Amino acid sequence: MKNLLIASLAVLLSTNVALTQELPQKDSKWFTDAQARIQEMVARQPITGRAKNVILFTADGNGVGTNYAIRLFSGQQAGGLGDDYVQPQEAFPNLALVKTYTTNGQTADSAPTASAMNTGVKSKNGMINIDETVAEADCAAGLDHQLKTFAEIVSEAGKSVGVVSTARITHATPAAVYAKTAQRDWEHNGALPEGCAQKDIADQLIEQMKAGVIDIALGGGRGMFIPADAKDEEDKGGKRTDGRNLIEEAKVAGAQYVWNDETFAALGDAATTPVLGLFESSHMKYEADRTGEPSLAEMTAATIKSLSGNENGFYLMVESGRVDHANHDGNLYRTLTDGKAFADAIALADELTNDEDTLIIVTADHEHAISFNGYCGRGSPITGLCYDVNGAGVEHTGTPLLSDDGKPYTVAGFLNGAGSVLKQDTQWTGSRPDLTNEQAMDKDYLQQALIPMSSETHSGEDVAVMAKGPWAHLFDGVIEQNYIFHVMDYAVNAK
Amino acid sequence: MNRRHFLAAALGCPALALMPVPAFGEETVKLRDLYNKDLSFSDYALAREGQRVSISGFMAPPLKAETNFFVLTNRPLAVCPFCETEAQWPDDILAIYAKRVIEVISFNTRINVRGKLELGTFTDPDTQFVSRVRLVDAVYERA
Repeated sequence: MKNLLIASLAVLLSTNVALTQELPQKDSKWFTDAQARIQEMVARQPITGRAKNVILFTADGNGVGTNYAIRLFSGQQAGGLGDDYVQPQEAFPNLALVKTYTTNGQTADSAPTASAMNTGVKSKNGMINIDETVAEADCAAGLDHQLKTFAEIVSEAGKSVGVVSTARITHATPAAVYAKTAQRDWEHNGALPEGCAQKDIADQLIEQMKAGVIDIALGGGRGMFIPADAKDEEDKGGKRTDGRNLIEEAKVAGAQYVWNDETFAALGDAATTPVLGLFESSHMKYEADRTGEPSLAEMTAATIKSLSGNENGFYLMVESGRVDHANHDGNLYRTLTDGKAFADAIALADELTNDEDTLIIVTADHEHAISFNGYCGRGSPITGLCYDVNGAGVEHTGTPLLSDDGKPYTVAGFLNGAGSVLKQDTQWTGSRPDLTNEQAMDKDYLQQALIPMSSETHSGEDVAVMAKGPWAHLFDGVIEQNYIFHVMDYAVNAK
Repeated sequence: MNRRHFLAAALGCPALALMPVPAFGEETVKLRDLYNKDLSFSDYALAREGQRVSISGFMAPPLKAETNFFVLTNRPLAVCPFCETEAQWPDDILAIYAKRVIEVISFNTRINVRGKLELGTFTDPDTQFVSRVRLVDAVYERA
């Protein structure tokens, strides 16, 4: 029977080949590329061994739309038209669309989404690794409804755990690797409500480091770890009101502490863990402004090299935290430069690991209110003006398209945010300012928005998950966000 | 007819009369031009210390009503800088000490500020605000 099936398949394939050889378009590059892709897909075999390592990449706020903009930006920076550029994660074999809603939010914030990925269940907005029965900020109830994290599970199985972010290491996404809190803003003790017995997020990180769950933590947020009357290495004040210096406590417990690019570089390739790296008082710098700090790729590579020393493997969560922040600011340029830095980190992680034993997952926690105009010709700069399609060629004509107000418009914009054309000064009325491509492509430009808001919002739109390595083929179709945990869990326990 | 309108008319270019033109021939630069990427002062800033300059940026939500002080930012600042400790402020800001009590302009409306450029750390005795660079005796207008 099996032989018969193979014979039938062979006949079918040869019939297809015979048909395509007759077509007038058969020599087009589009045609031959797609034919080659068919052969790749037919030959593709899933990897079904046990995953020794799991790397979960999250670019905060990098939904399908934002990812599209990053693709075009990276391609145009490389000298191309942009559309046909392939980001490293876009070459991964497996993909699904992810539904990001939470148990009470059509639009999610970054706390419950990271929780879903780290615990396997959805929960309420604003909370991290606390079950959905608890009301946000109910400190006492939260203590009785904590969930067990993937980091704790794999740590018990002998794996090392790392967490890397360009946001504060106590911010929602990285915090979900190690903390449990009824309110995401409880990053330092001074933010806890009076009488709340829960430990703040910074304190929980050091506790998890001492407990051997967290081996490497790199990011921003120094201020959450030092007293309010203390100054850090860059003369910035702390936040803690309990007088504790958690950095000193971590050092006493044996952690190596680094705070800038030089001390980070001195760690070398096989740093002895635990390592605590805090490179800014608050969030690390945007990639476009970065000086004196390691890049996301550098932090990712150093962490992989160090954790690879564990023969039982590791779990590493890497967050590009500021794709989200730049979207909130309505400043597309910095969204895209941080998005490119995210892709660079993914490429390096892929290079440093083996597909046979490392599951790499690339996703986002939620999308933003980013949107795109038409009908732009190819090569229209993703941060600039929408130029007319060239009916006789490929690249745009160089003539900006005009809207009904007679003014040009950009390729991308935001539905709401600080770039709103409706201003308070004019009683929330306004009109679109005239715009040149040079102005639009300025690195500090805010894309035009409609609804006035001081901070642009997330949206409930789907995000993608792209994966490679053991059991990556379990990502398919449209999935719930908490399913990501279950793929990681299945992959590390597969027989 | 003021000097600006006179010049525009003399040049036979009526459209120019509607465009903001910096006073005294001084070009308007962006706030970011005061800094190098590593946040040290730029050559532009160092060369103009003590001189009146024209800087373009955005008025962050002011600390209090009836004040002549505000902070100029490179991009519209999504959150009130005074709701956080200095750790959350952007590093590349410019403290403005205006000639008069300020009229608040939306945080996302670009303004041009002219004033005397001062460099060096200064702690405001009233607000305790620490600045590295300031424009004093300043006037401003929508860009």
